[in-house]
Amino acid sequence: MSSWWSTCALCPRLCRTSCPVATGSAREAAVPTLIASAMLAYERGKMSREEAAEAVSLCTDCGACQRRCHIDRPLPQALRDARRRLLNAPPIEPLRTLEGEGDWVAIEADERPLAQALAKQLGQPVRRWRTGDRLGVGAVEHAVWERQAARLRSHVGDGRVVVADGGVAHALSASGIGFSWLHEVVRGLPLGDGSCRTDGDRPLACCGAAGPLPLHHPEEAERVGRMWLARADEWRVSDARCRDHLRRCGGEVQDPLDALLEMQREG
Amino acid sequence: MKTEAPRGVRSSTRSLDLTAASRDLWPGGTLDFWQGREAPRPERVFWPESEEEVAEVLTAAAEQRVPVVPYGAGSGVCGGARGRPGAWVLDTKALAELGPVDETRWTVEAGAGVNGQQLEDWLQKHGFTLGHSPSSIWCSTVGGWAAARSAGQFSSRYGVFEDMVLALRAVSPGRGVFQVGEDGDAPDDWMPLLLGSEGTLGVITRVRMRIWPNPETRWLRGYRFSTVEAAIRAMRRLMQGELWPSVVRLYDPVDTRIGGKTKPKDPKARSGGNRRFLRRWLAEVDKLPSLRKRSLVLPLALPGLVNRIFDRVATGCLLIVGWEGRPAVVEALSKAGHKLLCEEGEDLGPEPGERWFQSRHAVSYKLMPIFERGGFADTMEVAARWSDLERLYEAVRDAVRETAVVMAHMSHVYPEGGSIYFSFAGRGDATVYQRTWDAALEAVLRVGGTVTHHHGVGHLKAHAASQEVGPAVAGWRALKAELDPQGILNPGRVYVDAPYRDPGPAVEVGLADGIVRTEPRRPLVERQARAASLNGELMWPWETLPPPPRWQRQPWQVGAVEVAGRVESKRCRLGRGPRSAAGPDLRDWLQKQDSRATVTEVLAPPGERWLGRGRPKAPWEVARDLLRHDLRPAILTVRDGELLVGFRGPAARSLGALAGAWVPGGLQEIDWESIPFPSGRLVPCSLDDPDVVWVLPQGAYKRGGDR
Repeated sequence: MSSWWSTCALCPRLCRTSCPVATGSAREAAVPTLIASAMLAYERGKMSREEAAEAVSLCTDCGACQRRCHIDRPLPQALRDARRRLLNAPPIEPLRTLEGEGDWVAIEADERPLAQALAKQLGQPVRRWRTGDRLGVGAVEHAVWERQAARLRSHVGDGRVVVADGGVAHALSASGIGFSWLHEVVRGLPLGDGSCRTDGDRPLACCGAAGPLPLHHPEEAERVGRMWLARADEWRVSDARCRDHLRRCGGEVQDPLDALLEMQREG
Repeated sequence: MKTEAPRGVRSSTRSLDLTAASRDLWPGGTLDFWQGREAPRPERVFWPESEEEVAEVLTAAAEQRVPVVPYGAGSGVCGGARGRPGAWVLDTKALAELGPVDETRWTVEAGAGVNGQQLEDWLQKHGFTLGHSPSSIWCSTVGGWAAARSAGQFSSRYGVFEDMVLALRAVSPGRGVFQVGEDGDAPDDWMPLLLGSEGTLGVITRVRMRIWPNPETRWLRGYRFSTVEAAIRAMRRLMQGELWPSVVRLYDPVDTRIGGKTKPKDPKARSGGNRRFLRRWLAEVDKLPSLRKRSLVLPLALPGLVNRIFDRVATGCLLIVGWEGRPAVVEALSKAGHKLLCEEGEDLGPEPGERWFQSRHAVSYKLMPIFERGGFADTMEVAARWSDLERLYEAVRDAVRETAVVMAHMSHVYPEGGSIYFSFAGRGDATVYQRTWDAALEAVLRVGGTVTHHHGVGHLKAHAASQEVGPAVAGWRALKAELDPQGILNPGRVYVDAPYRDPGPAVEVGLADGIVRTEPRRPLVERQARAASLNGELMWPWETLPPPPRWQRQPWQVGAVEVAGRVESKRCRLGRGPRSAAGPDLRDWLQKQDSRATVTEVLAPPGERWLGRGRPKAPWEVARDLLRHDLRPAILTVRDGELLVGFRGPAARSLGALAGAWVPGGLQEIDWESIPFPSGRLVPCSLDDPDVVWVLPQGAYKRGGDR
């Protein structure tokens, strides 16, 4: 009857405090302990594959459940492995061509002109790389990622990559591609107050924009976002993905790129 | 029968959600889950986001006679929130509004679904603490604390949860949305019945609580006592000496031995007691998966033998005591307490206390390996007055020793008694589990304790709690008929039909128990004379009983402890332990019901006294500030424009000196006299109102406003 999931499944659900999905969605099924229980039931043949897949996708992959676990269970990795087994990879859009010239490459994941703003700031040409699906980050946990990672590596070549978006950053990290955040290249831009996983010890560190949650449960991701907005001291984030998500949830959220564009507008 | 759910409220019938809501943390349910037995699944789960949505769900349920199980974080260990076939589960976690916090008045509000640790983290950011720290704080909600009358590890300083509640909002099918307590629109006497009602009278939606500034300092220390009896004596003197520690935890010899709690944490010393050996053994066994799942089967199959071995090898017990708050007050109290504890105990220094503090929430998750290894583990918290504590301890141990390995600690004490928290582990067999519980609860009732101190009742203790409460259950039924006329709210939980069990006559008590039996309708002077005949005085001399409602008293000021009376000519005794969470608190109801009911009140033993008077410009404001400085005077009032501040017990003089230093113009010592506390319902007023008679950290009160 024992399995890897047993220890988590028998725990008194202490990880619920740190889990943004369990807190924001209010769903008991989203408590990491209950996700482990679902996996245990699935392994015992008492839960369907679809239900187990639903359970393991109630996750932003923020890792807070492990960081705040009293016995440091590597639940996030176990959930990634389970998702790889139980979920199909989402489609990945073809990579777009890099536009322009220069050593720097700015990856634009939304409508804002990151490359142009960066070029102006650096006084150098910056190549523009647009992506509509954050370089296919939704598939990062799946077997198809190996090929996507290779494609990304060859696409970017030896350019100095700058990002403003957490999804893009995650895709690059998972492909072994080095990059800099916008706020690291342009100093002095205001950052968020610890959201967006920049502060690992903070509970409820994710606003719901990351991981499989927005892909598989957009309505729950919105609830997590609204919870974050209700509890945040200031509506400033360090990550464009969170900015977009939180704006969809009704918050007038600013990120470092907003600050840079505003600064340039004001001369 | 197909039911129709209200459309505007988020809900789910997905299997994943129904399965998740079918189980709480009742270990019997965990045993079923682990052994593959299906938990009863509800029909639908709702997540209302407002009181209006809660009302919509309850109205629809009442119309269709659908049972409703309110569900917070499911941390209850008595099965109060477990699933029920065909029921609707009303999950309160979407009622998650944090705040506002009133930093001037020292109060906070929170939605019922707010997670305990998240509330505490948020308060800490504002420089405050709720002071409520149950070991379930990570996995429980504010609403659950109120519904099951939770108690935290610092209860001797901050009170148990119902002491912290100033106002409650709730929804019931019969009344709709209502508020009790401060600014309430419902009768005051509903409050003690709603607290502890575990969703049977209404769904709690929002709570207003007292808060305190974060303590500036914390003092923790361990003491070794040769016997449980000596340690209990020391705890009693500590509490009756009005030293108000924040932490008092006594581990019995077995718990002390297994936890290795009296040894210094020195790797070179033989630290860790038997726990180290057990850990090594289990680590070896874990290397063989086939052995792992049965590694505890053998020892747990022979609990009688294991208990006898433990009894032989275990000697001495550990007492952890702590104070926290303002440094000067902590110093005065801990100095007096340390001296008292060293009379019979051996000082082990700060390390055991600090070690406990670091791992204070660990108990619950340490039990899970026992299930994995073929056993069950459970806990039972009961309470009794001082003279019954040892008898209760022995009776429960004797009752379960042949079915479970048993150990205990005492973690909540009061001037009038304390609670015992038993941990037991047995063979993972549902029949053995049930037999263990039946025997344990029977032993508690036989000895005259209360069957639950702070874990609530649920379904596990419903029969025993119903027997403990006896015919006074009529008080709960009467309110239930009004609030839940269709009987849809959490049926079968808290109280059930149970045969009458005569509790026996009300016993005479005395100084050792710290309580005196009085007739509540007699004038104070007569009740004081009764206390004087036992060589004591009433610790809280209320003019009349019952005193002002709980939210208008300090957390440590109680009214009647035990109420003995008759309902339909049948005897009943409520409040057998110093604090019972056996469902709603029906003591005030019984006093009103039976004009001949007698009560026990808390006694202050003879000893040191200090009373001072002063003439500061704004005496009530100064009085309020003394409370905010962490002082707990036995007397704090203003008479003829003079501020009177009094203390009892071994720290009386040093506390008096501290108070004198904080009062502008100082305090002059005068002869001790007991000064009555105002009774009846009080109404808030400004601190400079000429009619002020009472003060709390939250503000001043004057007489009036009977309801």
